[in-house]
Amino acid sequence: MTHQTHAYHMVNPSPWPLTGALSALLMTSGLTMWFHFNSNILLTLGLMTNSLTMYQWWRDVVRESTFQGHHTIIVQTGLRYGMILFIMSEVFFFAGFFWAFYHSSLAPTPSLGGYWPPAGINPLNPMEVPLLNTLVLLASGVSITWTHHSLMEGNRKHSLQALLITIFLGIYFTLLQASEYLEAPFTISDSIYGSTFFVATGFHGLHVMIGTTFLTICLLRQLKFHFTSKHHFGFEAAAWYWHFVDVVWLFLYISIYWWGS
Amino acid sequence: MAAAAAVGTRVSRLLGRSLPQQGRPMSSGAHGEEGSARMWKALTYFVALPGVAVSMLNVFLKSHHGEHERPEFIAYPHLRIRSKPFPWGDGNHTLFHNPRVNPLPTGYEDE
Repeated sequence: MTHQTHAYHMVNPSPWPLTGALSALLMTSGLTMWFHFNSNILLTLGLMTNSLTMYQWWRDVVRESTFQGHHTIIVQTGLRYGMILFIMSEVFFFAGFFWAFYHSSLAPTPSLGGYWPPAGINPLNPMEVPLLNTLVLLASGVSITWTHHSLMEGNRKHSLQALLITIFLGIYFTLLQASEYLEAPFTISDSIYGSTFFVATGFHGLHVMIGTTFLTICLLRQLKFHFTSKHHFGFEAAAWYWHFVDVVWLFLYISIYWWGS
Repeated sequence: MAAAAAVGTRVSRLLGRSLPQQGRPMSSGAHGEEGSARMWKALTYFVALPGVAVSMLNVFLKSHHGEHERPEFIAYPHLRIRSKPFPWGDGNHTLFHNPRVNPLPTGYEDE
């Protein structure tokens, strides 16, 4: 037998899982060296090898699928399950930070003054930039849906236009949040309020940047004609991730920005 | 898929019109029906983006640039916590430190 008689994808041996694991070791030990011994060489090496791993691993997935045709329906189904499970794990990741926030804010300790927001904290007005941020992400959810439908209908010009709008909105959100971080009268070191605020919104912002990067890759692939109107799972995965990022923001807005003020 | 086709057949018999025999009920999630992209394009340009524009206007109108009044500095022990120096700079400034609005543990830097 010189050809496979099943529809699954038996991936060729690859070095990227190993380089990924090694990069994780370098990043974790690098953080320790940076925090405690004032040295950032390990961390820098770790970040570089991590980026290289991601680039090469996902480049190989594109090669295996778009150029070699290994992604049959059943392979795609497996990838769908995988993305859903990954996003679920991210939901639990954020659940921890929301737990910390509600634990601290529902029963504020005497050292905070017994009330929330704590003494000396002036929270951001939820009706100003945070509200704009909310509309920006909601709008990007609409434009990404337009992108998907344009893709399915085979409209190349519109799918590119809509995806570009989505990416710009993502970048706009990040710029707005960065300016909020710089102008905020409270910092991460300002009691448990600062910790919960900046860790939760900070990780969210990181996920916005990751999502924007994912969407940009989709834009480049669409420009290179990788997607068809029936097969574009890479884009769907990016869209699911983007909607997840939007939903997390909505929870952040309601809990921390609005109720928490 | 077979169940959906059976439903489609039953429905077309009931309605007596031309639902394709192999056709499955179209939902905008599973398959692009003709024209749904047009609706989302309209929603983007007439609802979503104008909503963002209105909100931008709202922020602009509410912003007071160059505010001089800032809260007086009270050295609360639960604020400006420094259990360990930050691993950057002099270890005493947060990552997004803004001297105008963020006092150090000892007070505003420009006072």
